[in-house]
Amino acid sequence: MAGKVKNLADILKEKGIPISSQYGGQAPEELTDREVKKEPTPRAKELRDLYFNTYSSATVEFPYWYTRKWNELDCEPSIVRRAAAMKCAFSHLTPTIFPGELLVMGKAHYYRGSFPMPWLSEGFYMVKEDELYQAALKKGGASADEVSKFGSGGGNVTKSFGNVVSIAGKFGIRSEEVPALIKLARAWVGKSVDDLGHKYEQMVPEYETKEKIMRSVICMFESGYTLPQGREVINYYYPLQYGIDGLIAMAKERKAEVAGKADGDGLIGMDRLYYYDAVILGLEGIQIWILNYAKEARRLAGITEDATQKKEYEGIAECLEWIAHNQPRTFREALQLTYTIHIAVLNEDAISGMSPGRLGQVLYPWFEQDLAAGRITEEEALELLECHRVKFTCIDCFSSMGVVGGVLSGNTFNNLSMGGLTRDGKSAANDLEMLIMEAGMTCATPQPTLSVLYDEKLPEEFLLKAIECNKCGTGYPAWMNNQVGIQFLLQQYGPEGMTLEEARAITIGGCLETSPCSWHELTLNGKNYVIPGGAGQPTSVGVHFIANAKLLELVLFNGYDNRTKEQVFAPHNKKLDTYEELWGVYQDYYEQTVNCLAKCNNIQHDFWRKNNMSIINSILKPDCLTKGHHIGQLGYRYNGTFNVESCGTANMVNSLAALKKLVYDDKKYTLSEMQEAILANFGFKTADEVGSYSLLSQEKKEGGDKYDQIHSDCLLAPKYGNDDPYADAILKEYEDWFCAMCRNYESLYARPLYACQISVSTHGPQGAVTLATPDGRLAGTTYADGSMSAYPGTDRNGPYALFTSATVWDHTQSQNSQMNLKVHPSAIKGIEGSRKLLDLTRAYMRRGGFHIQYNIVDSKMLKDAQAHPENYRGLMVRVAGFTQYWVEIGKQIQDEVIARTEYETA
Amino acid sequence: MSNGNGTARHNDCRNFVPVDVAKGICRAKNKLIAIDTPTCENFTALPKCKNCANFTATENTLGICEADKNKTWVFEDLIAVTCDMYQAR
Repeated sequence: MAGKVKNLADILKEKGIPISSQYGGQAPEELTDREVKKEPTPRAKELRDLYFNTYSSATVEFPYWYTRKWNELDCEPSIVRRAAAMKCAFSHLTPTIFPGELLVMGKAHYYRGSFPMPWLSEGFYMVKEDELYQAALKKGGASADEVSKFGSGGGNVTKSFGNVVSIAGKFGIRSEEVPALIKLARAWVGKSVDDLGHKYEQMVPEYETKEKIMRSVICMFESGYTLPQGREVINYYYPLQYGIDGLIAMAKERKAEVAGKADGDGLIGMDRLYYYDAVILGLEGIQIWILNYAKEARRLAGITEDATQKKEYEGIAECLEWIAHNQPRTFREALQLTYTIHIAVLNEDAISGMSPGRLGQVLYPWFEQDLAAGRITEEEALELLECHRVKFTCIDCFSSMGVVGGVLSGNTFNNLSMGGLTRDGKSAANDLEMLIMEAGMTCATPQPTLSVLYDEKLPEEFLLKAIECNKCGTGYPAWMNNQVGIQFLLQQYGPEGMTLEEARAITIGGCLETSPCSWHELTLNGKNYVIPGGAGQPTSVGVHFIANAKLLELVLFNGYDNRTKEQVFAPHNKKLDTYEELWGVYQDYYEQTVNCLAKCNNIQHDFWRKNNMSIINSILKPDCLTKGHHIGQLGYRYNGTFNVESCGTANMVNSLAALKKLVYDDKKYTLSEMQEAILANFGFKTADEVGSYSLLSQEKKEGGDKYDQIHSDCLLAPKYGNDDPYADAILKEYEDWFCAMCRNYESLYARPLYACQISVSTHGPQGAVTLATPDGRLAGTTYADGSMSAYPGTDRNGPYALFTSATVWDHTQSQNSQMNLKVHPSAIKGIEGSRKLLDLTRAYMRRGGFHIQYNIVDSKMLKDAQAHPENYRGLMVRVAGFTQYWVEIGKQIQDEVIARTEYETA
Repeated sequence: MSNGNGTARHNDCRNFVPVDVAKGICRAKNKLIAIDTPTCENFTALPKCKNCANFTATENTLGICEADKNKTWVFEDLIAVTCDMYQAR
């Protein structure tokens, strides 16, 4: 009888190798739930329960009307053509109001609706044409069993059933709409940003290398046609101050002023006329869209027999009829208008990470005046904020599987920032933000995720409220270092005119992207306020997700990818006799990667700005309306937002440390022996064979003992996260080089790139394509998350040692860095535990760390949730910069979250 | 009222609130209901292209909008509550 298959955890235990999933003691044997638990209001609960039972659903209504109008307007200036197409699409969206809603409207008529944008990329549908048709033709088998699978395993439509066709393993579309989807896709062949960008990127001399890099998954995705906007901060100021009628009037006035005049700008001076024309069309489209919902509310009020519901429909109609034209009068109207504007922006592009910004500070004027006038109570405001959470959680981003699944885990990263400073340097925290956190606890949902802009000036009460929210296990708020972020902004945007005052408007876009913002003077009922809002281009753009550990693999194998069997880079043909030579080749391959990707990316974005430029966002952000220039013409105040994003830093650092120690310093192994062991996966099966993507679950191959010693030595080599100068010096050398290197490359807007260091979910798929690494990580297993998180189980000296390692370099040189910690609920019980967690947070911030975030969860619960997802529909976890429902994230990431070191003491 | 195969679905009905591609809420009965199950006596036609006098079917759920000056293509299930050219058959 064959013996029990040993996994790595058993082997390490036998050998006494100290890699463990727990630090600081043992977790209690029984499963421990989170200490803080709260419940939503009945209304929000019903709406959230409906969400739990809802599939991600796509429809072609918006793209149909957009394309129809676009085709009618051949030869018009692109911006006018696009604005008219958007107006047509917004005007024809079917309004749906769901029972119980106070805040209404949505991307599409489904509760969790979205739609494809073939003008960005249609290739996916063309490639899948036959498959989609076959699935659509197979209709008619809508058995009760099939249609009763509502919501099981989350809202992802992972496969087709009945009359529902799965797209990209995520979205469902009605089979009767598939022929229209295919026809729309055909209409954009050769015209989409993807197709045009592809045509011209082939003229870049390094194009072939870029394609091999993409196939190798050294780079995860191309932003130009997948997510051309996002990870930025929206700006609600203009509609809040002037109302939509006021903005239309302003645009008409400016249109008359600039018509036929260049005003000294021979290049784009004349374009201002078309810009203002587009602004008017865009705003009119939004007005009609809002008023269509108002009409629907009136219709429903007319047919309902329930007096309470009738009154609510009338309230909705009245709110919409007002905000379609005017400055909001009440907190509810202001909240509805900001939400409406948010959705309007999301409907103009595939966007992930459009953050509402410091919403509690933006809406404070209405909150304050409503409370004072007795127009609203805190309880009523809380209910509205809960409804707002559900509406934001219903937002889906329609993009390809690689992007939506592999990068985003289905998340949309609508990050709401709190705290920070006012324009004149005082604490900006307010009572509405306290209520926003309360709603985040009572109605725990992934969106909007919350972030605290940590500053020493923030009051203790506010900070402890944030800790209480952390203890709910929501994964939010994340903690960002306000002063570190301000320094980064001044460095990056100082050349574009940013002052310290303006830098204090700092807000987080997307997961944890420090974004340039601005202050605006708002007047409400004669009282003046200063509110912040986004003022910069997207930061979701540039060279995104370079797999640091995979790149090292290619250095070790002379530029050859053993997975794709391709020579990705020209062979370096060096013997790599010294560590310095190895590091030099690594830098060279990295620079080649950024160089070719930046060039091709610039071409894709150039087509986006020429044919598919933002209309709505180009109304909202300063200084477009003043200048008469859209985003693509540098209309925004800050334009140096393109970046280079990395993934797998801890594994790369640990691998370099192992090579330095074992091959170059101690000379215990030759490089050839290391290469042989890597190709043999240290004698283990692949992660796919095992069906798990965490290191400790990996299983030894029959007869795989040959590499035991070298594998043990690799695992025992110095590791990042332990206050070990050997490994930390490698991190510092890398960071100093990486942050400077990124600035050597230029975006299409002629601004330098910069470093961005978050993994989102790419540490799953990029780990999956990477062979075993010299740090002892095995083939196909997920990388460490973030950039400052330790590799699971390798941080053995406690959190303060981890903080020391993480802050050996200057975080102000990067847009961000990312550290995630998993803490057992029992470690932070009671008020004493809360203070310990706040002290821990402060310690990291005071050492200059940029970001820290906590998963307060018992790993046993996650394991149980993986085995019984049906019992955990509402369970949320923090991944890497975002919170997501456990059941909606892929197994690669689930395994990694389970494997993270669990701190039993804080 | 038909889906092209002669059968009405719940998402052809004005009382239906489309939650997702598989189900919705029936306002008449105030409950969740699967789209592809038999409709009831409360069925009220929702304006859709297939129910419009200006619609001419072509193939595979597609058709032509005769009211449009360009005679552009449309599809049967396009909801027409916001269309100025909609004329119930």
